[in-house]
Amino acid sequence: MPHVFQQPPLKASRELYEGKDPTATVYLMESSGGMVSGDRNDITVKLAPESKVRLVQQSALKIYPSHTGETCHQRIDVEIGEGARLEWMPEVIIPFIDAKFQVDTTLKLASDSTVLWGEIIAPGREKRGEIYGYESFRSNFKIFIEDELIAFDSLHFSPREQGLGAVGVLEGAMYIGSIWLVSPKADDIDVRALQETLRIEEGLQAGMTRLEGNAIHCRWLGQDQWTLQKEMKRVYAKLAELI
Amino acid sequence: MKRQNDDLNSHSNTAATLTDTSLLQLFQIHDSAFPIGSYTHSYGMETYIQEDLIRTKEDLISFCTSFLFQNLVRGDAILIQEAYAAAEAQDMDKLLELEQLCGAIKLAKESRDASVNVGRQFIRTVTPLGTDPLLAEWKERIDAKAIKGHYAVLYGIYSATTGVSAHHAVMTYLYATLNGLITNAVRAVPFGQNTGVQAMNKLIGPVAEAAQLTARLTLDDVSNNALGIELASMKHEYLFSRLFIS
Repeated sequence: MPHVFQQPPLKASRELYEGKDPTATVYLMESSGGMVSGDRNDITVKLAPESKVRLVQQSALKIYPSHTGETCHQRIDVEIGEGARLEWMPEVIIPFIDAKFQVDTTLKLASDSTVLWGEIIAPGREKRGEIYGYESFRSNFKIFIEDELIAFDSLHFSPREQGLGAVGVLEGAMYIGSIWLVSPKADDIDVRALQETLRIEEGLQAGMTRLEGNAIHCRWLGQDQWTLQKEMKRVYAKLAELI
Repeated sequence: MKRQNDDLNSHSNTAATLTDTSLLQLFQIHDSAFPIGSYTHSYGMETYIQEDLIRTKEDLISFCTSFLFQNLVRGDAILIQEAYAAAEAQDMDKLLELEQLCGAIKLAKESRDASVNVGRQFIRTVTPLGTDPLLAEWKERIDAKAIKGHYAVLYGIYSATTGVSAHHAVMTYLYATLNGLITNAVRAVPFGQNTGVQAMNKLIGPVAEAAQLTARLTLDDVSNNALGIELASMKHEYLFSRLFIS
């Protein structure tokens, strides 16, 4: 990595390589254990043309109760240069009871660059019975290809004010999973065939669709974290193989 | 821009009264005989029907309420309101930004395609009815394939040219969209005509409330929490047999 600027509690590891694979694996670490009232994390990643990077979050992102009423913000800005490739499969985001959180994620790609991006949102510390006990959760996720906005996924959850469990909304699902793929090879992927392999048992609902440009999106609603993560990893690995 | 009554164009004026002609124009563009194909789309509802999840009038009302508050209000309705204001200000850059946003928030391919197909039929149908220069310019951009022609943006621009208030434009759009869904449910479930009428009647209050709510929202509020409906729209593409295009 030519440039690294970091401030605690955020830290990036040295780049690691596996064998002859030119992909640099970098671990993102958050040493504080979680975000509290009004904390702000800014993560900016720039990939030089033709570079190949895999970013791995070391642990789940925990958002603590907002006792001061302030919202925690995380901002992730990613620029992927021509011919470059980024893989990001983060850990789960867990908003604790009374948490207030907003994440703004922007991916900017060149027309021939590649990204494979995943995310999972938990309803809270489910095993402790914290289910949609948070105050607010906002995620604004944008993908630009050559300055054209091709996808804007915006979730604004305020569980106490909205009937999130209703038909058509989250329908009792606990976990929300998303995978985003942009690749010059996306056009060659048979979405129908992949869609047919998606597991829809054990409380999983899944769908796959083509976005504008060379992009594919896959979304899950799930009951059980491990079932969802296992299935997402399978699809993620399959897509990584195809691009 | 052609305007019939300047007093009626303030989109924050939710108590605006309609002129007779603008009211009748609204009736006309939302008539089921107005050929824009909105009645060929279910926006994912058909998946629920095939999975036997919409069986009763109450199921249908619940589905429509979720679609209204968790998708339409925070998506198309805000875009209509913003497009209306941008059209009044003749702000082409803003309109182009809204056009991109309108496509970007519709992640399911069928919903995005539906928005474009209805939009293009809408502009083809309304173009011979008037000569508004902004609408004509928008059509040129669609014809030149510079933009897609999403319905919500077009509808916002068109409404700004007719003298109807943004509030009434949004409200009738919401009403017409749900009414279209219910008409389709009557065909697909099948429900009796009276069940459809009763369901729509129950939704009149929520539609009026949704229109009031929209007036307080801005582009920062654009969001879609209706992930169940979005998944259903994605799955609809692969249904074996279907009545509706989306």
